[in-house]
Amino acid sequence: MYSVSDIRKGLKVEIDNQPYVVIDFQFVKPGKGQAFTRTKLKNLITGNNLDRTFKIVESLAPCDVTDVNMQFMYADAEGYNFMNLETYDQVSLPAEAVGDAKNWLIDEMQVNVLFYKGRAINIDLPNFVELEITYCEPGIKGNTATGTNKPATLSTGAIVGVPLFVEQGEWIKVDTRTGEYVERVKR
Amino acid sequence: MSPDGIRARAKVLGAMRRWFSDHGYLEVPTAVLVPSPALEEHLHAIPAGGGFLRTSPEFALKRAMACGLGRIYEIGPCFRDREHGAWHRREFTMCEWYRAGGEPEDVMDEVESLVRAAAAALGVREPGPWRRTTVATLFAEHAGLDLTLTTARDLSGEDESWDDAMMRRFVTDVEPALHGAVFVADWPASQAALARVRDDRAWPVATRFEAYIDGVELANAFHELLDAGELRARFEAANRARVDAGEAPHPVDERLIGAVGRMPRTTGIALGVDRLVAALMSWDGIGAGRVE
Repeated sequence: MYSVSDIRKGLKVEIDNQPYVVIDFQFVKPGKGQAFTRTKLKNLITGNNLDRTFKIVESLAPCDVTDVNMQFMYADAEGYNFMNLETYDQVSLPAEAVGDAKNWLIDEMQVNVLFYKGRAINIDLPNFVELEITYCEPGIKGNTATGTNKPATLSTGAIVGVPLFVEQGEWIKVDTRTGEYVERVKR
Repeated sequence: MSPDGIRARAKVLGAMRRWFSDHGYLEVPTAVLVPSPALEEHLHAIPAGGGFLRTSPEFALKRAMACGLGRIYEIGPCFRDREHGAWHRREFTMCEWYRAGGEPEDVMDEVESLVRAAAAALGVREPGPWRRTTVATLFAEHAGLDLTLTTARDLSGEDESWDDAMMRRFVTDVEPALHGAVFVADWPASQAALARVRDDRAWPVATRFEAYIDGVELANAFHELLDAGELRARFEAANRARVDAGEAPHPVDERLIGAVGRMPRTTGIALGVDRLVAALMSWDGIGAGRVE
């Protein structure tokens, strides 16, 4: 068991038979009350947030989550398929479990697949990925104005806002946590 | 710790002392090392030199009120063990002021004026307008509960006391939703500490309010309890709760019990100075203004 003083960002715990990760926490102590740690947790299966407050004397159950580095192979009607490059084991995740990460997944990308009690439930992408622009309006050369964006469709089908000077066929770096353009990259 | 943080803190301390002087308050430095710390179950005093480091200057300042002073204040260090976080330290700076003949609404006016003076000294926008509301109103708004009718199980679903369940729900659902400057009054009588209890509300409440800025608890005010017998009973109840919780009982402050009958009708308030600076500067904790 974890004690409340073990709570850190990224700690994975089990609550009501569901796996959660701590995304934020704070020590709080009302002037006339006892000490608590207020936490913001994310359900690793549903992605839903949960606010939970623990007394300092309480304990939290660790959760049986492991992450395994795997390579994305392909998506089909069944879901998204990944392979462990060491053991060649393959797993398939349903689209709901992959969620918005599908916007950034390209063939052969390596990701961390999360397993809860042996079942693949979620994936962790790298913070930054490089993707090709398959369609956007022609660029305006020399226009480096910031703050003005145009939509660009990426090879995964995702649409992101890019600066006006960026051209179709170029590769860009995207922050997978915010879904925002970072910079152009040479390929 | 940062140079700008330390300068900001100095500006606020200067503005506070000017405000107190302008409003007729006398600065009264009291002992930091005391024989009897607060008895509240959830306060943990640090033993030192055969006594304790004070958890607040409350008892000493009330004895000063009983000796005939009408408006007094103190700004100085206080110590509470087992408290550490972005907004908590074991050692922190408290400001308390006491005033004869005032009503809680007058103290709210004073907090607004003092905070305005501190914001002006910092050159930042003053928080406000202040909202004046009650604990029960906020539970209705943010938890959808009629606090006066709830049980512990309604509040938290855990097997715990009503006060623990109420506080757990308060810090989970209510406190994070307190945007802007808010006075929260009418706390349950069971959380009165040393405030008078009034029975002219739908349920028994303490004549006590808290001041919040953007979800940070800044100050706690009482209409002070003046009945020596009731004060002793509350001290004894607090010590029983300490023992039940596995904590050592604390010596009862007989000097305060002896003096309380000579106090005029008094309002008192304790305000966290580190937090005031941090809230006005929009810091995400109190560390930047402190040298630790």
